[in-house]
Amino acid sequence: MNAPVKKNVVKEPSMLRQKEMIAQHFRDLARAKEQGKKVVYTFVPGNLTELMLSFDCLPLHPEINALQSGMRKLSGEYIAEAERAGHSEDVCTYVKCDIGMMLKGNIGPTGEKLPEPDLLLLSYTGCFTFMKWFELLRERYKCPTAMLHVPYQGEGHFTEEQVQYVVDQLRSEIIPKFEKVTGQAFDIDRLRDLLGNSARAEEDLVYVLESAKKRPSPIDAYFGGVYYIGPLFTAFRGTPAATEYYRMLREEVDARAAAGQGPITPDGLLDEERFRLVVEGPPNWTHFREFWKMFADEGAVVVASTYTKVGGTYDRGFRHNPERPLESLAEYCLGCYTNLNMPTRVDMLTNYVKDYEADGFLINSIKSCNSFSAGQLVMMRQVEKRTGKPGGFIETDLVDPRYFSASNVKNRLESFFQMLAQKGQEVPA
Amino acid sequence: MTLAAGIDVGSAAVKAAVVRDEGNDPVMLGYETVRIRRRDLDEVVRAAYEGALARSGVSADDIAYVATTGEGEGVPFRTGHFYSMTTHARGGLYLQPGARAVLDVGALHGRVVRMDERGKVLGYRMTSQCASGSGQFLENIGRYLGVALEEIGELSQRADDPEACSSICAVLAETDVINMVSRGISTPNILKGIHLSMAGRLVKLLKSAGCEGTVLVTGGLAKDEGLLAAMAEIAVERGLALSIENHEHSILAGAIGAAIWGAFRHKKLAQRRALPV
Repeated sequence: MNAPVKKNVVKEPSMLRQKEMIAQHFRDLARAKEQGKKVVYTFVPGNLTELMLSFDCLPLHPEINALQSGMRKLSGEYIAEAERAGHSEDVCTYVKCDIGMMLKGNIGPTGEKLPEPDLLLLSYTGCFTFMKWFELLRERYKCPTAMLHVPYQGEGHFTEEQVQYVVDQLRSEIIPKFEKVTGQAFDIDRLRDLLGNSARAEEDLVYVLESAKKRPSPIDAYFGGVYYIGPLFTAFRGTPAATEYYRMLREEVDARAAAGQGPITPDGLLDEERFRLVVEGPPNWTHFREFWKMFADEGAVVVASTYTKVGGTYDRGFRHNPERPLESLAEYCLGCYTNLNMPTRVDMLTNYVKDYEADGFLINSIKSCNSFSAGQLVMMRQVEKRTGKPGGFIETDLVDPRYFSASNVKNRLESFFQMLAQKGQEVPA
Repeated sequence: MTLAAGIDVGSAAVKAAVVRDEGNDPVMLGYETVRIRRRDLDEVVRAAYEGALARSGVSADDIAYVATTGEGEGVPFRTGHFYSMTTHARGGLYLQPGARAVLDVGALHGRVVRMDERGKVLGYRMTSQCASGSGQFLENIGRYLGVALEEIGELSQRADDPEACSSICAVLAETDVINMVSRGISTPNILKGIHLSMAGRLVKLLKSAGCEGTVLVTGGLAKDEGLLAAMAEIAVERGLALSIENHEHSILAGAIGAAIWGAFRHKKLAQRRALPV
């Protein structure tokens, strides 16, 4: 009873470019030890990529490996392995997927063995689980660990003292540790160059994300958005390759917008934009395409999402600044989405609904992600009250396939779309 | 005058109704409900439709519009399909003009739809994923206890000391029930315990959707008087001004609503001279 599936899946050239960038990165990782490169494990929120690159280190993101394993249908097996090793069913499934992958030989998403870390770098930006995760990895790898403590934005904004507190840690803890691990001296001019590249890429990313204000939106800012943030949120921020990728992406999006086209979905160009949505929460990765199709089949386009801000809230105006290198790294970490308090998150969602002229907003509550899921029902009621737009609530998980119930999700999405569809409709007497 | 048929394809049964619309006062002429029971869905749909036509004393040629709802989008002879939220709201209003919300409790989900005096949907809430399948769960428990679905409501109302059970998870609740049976808890007390746990969640749903006044229960569990009594008890306990009611045709709300929407759509198409050929 579903609409017929369209043939000829279209992929954006930028998507292919990104795929090649990622493949090259994993090839570099696989050869890191023989080429004398140091490998730093770190997380996306609050990542200090430019600093790592200035020391010629190769970053590796355990949660990205986990989501890639989820998309490649490997996560179920890894999670089972971690649970056999004693990890509870309630633990974050990114963690269990990574631990399971490690226990099964640490073969990365591209089929090559991942190198062990020379340094574990934790920028603590609101997710307590990250800290416990690295404690487990430290136990396993017995390697040096560096922790940058980033104060939570409990008041909804950060202060000069907080920025200074983070900068002091960068100077006294993080940079000396990099110098010790790599044997290289810190080169602030190199860092400045990389930050300059970042700022250009960030400008283009924001341009692309804000293109969703057009009607029809030329992008899907959630399902497509997670691809668009890829280079900037992971190993490539600060590199010329990332800057070039975003220039290319911007041109692609501009071309679609000029032609009055919608986003590219798993089935090709979306024919008709029926609903404009704002989405809160990470996507499900194990059934990513199936999940996306549930939206695309109904003509639902996500025009703004919060998950695409976990690696930086650039649309709120932040840019890395070569003139203030350490300060801007500190401000970047402080402003990460997971480090924001609930009223700020409600403000962001409310503004997205208004600024992007959304018809409604949807929360995808993740079973095993406390950082995102805590308080989401309250957030939904607040946003509904402030915007007057209907909210929907579905439940899935990051990479545990056991928690994705397609019929339940579809059932709830259908009700949500029904609610949106009947707005403004004439009713029979 | 327009004759329209509504067909509501649910997960457990197909309901069909025929409505005569003469302007502002639609009237249901006849209906049919056929349980699916793993039979070919096309045959069940056809049986429900033909049953409703026969009981209405009309033929298929008299029907100007066949409207489907629920999972009926694939019915080959449909004229158009309508979302179940709007059809339940309109059908609920037909059955109980004072209702300002319908609580659709079926095999797959519990959902409350809040509406205005014209049946226009104002908002909705659904049970969380873990409380899905309430109807199916109750049927399973009935089977386990050796009680027919129709007997559950009456037995539940005979309880004198209901035994609490998990309200979060059907699997946990089934374990509770097995334990209760082995402890010698009476069937009425077990059933009432289950009804109270389900009712607790449904009343919470009504409250969170902002419902007040009359609520009409639709869907497969609308006939379960035990569930309704448990909901009424809990609403009183929580001080909510709710009158939770059912109707002898509650289960037909979706089909009736679809037929009314179908007649309306037919008139609109006729006005625009855009009727399907």
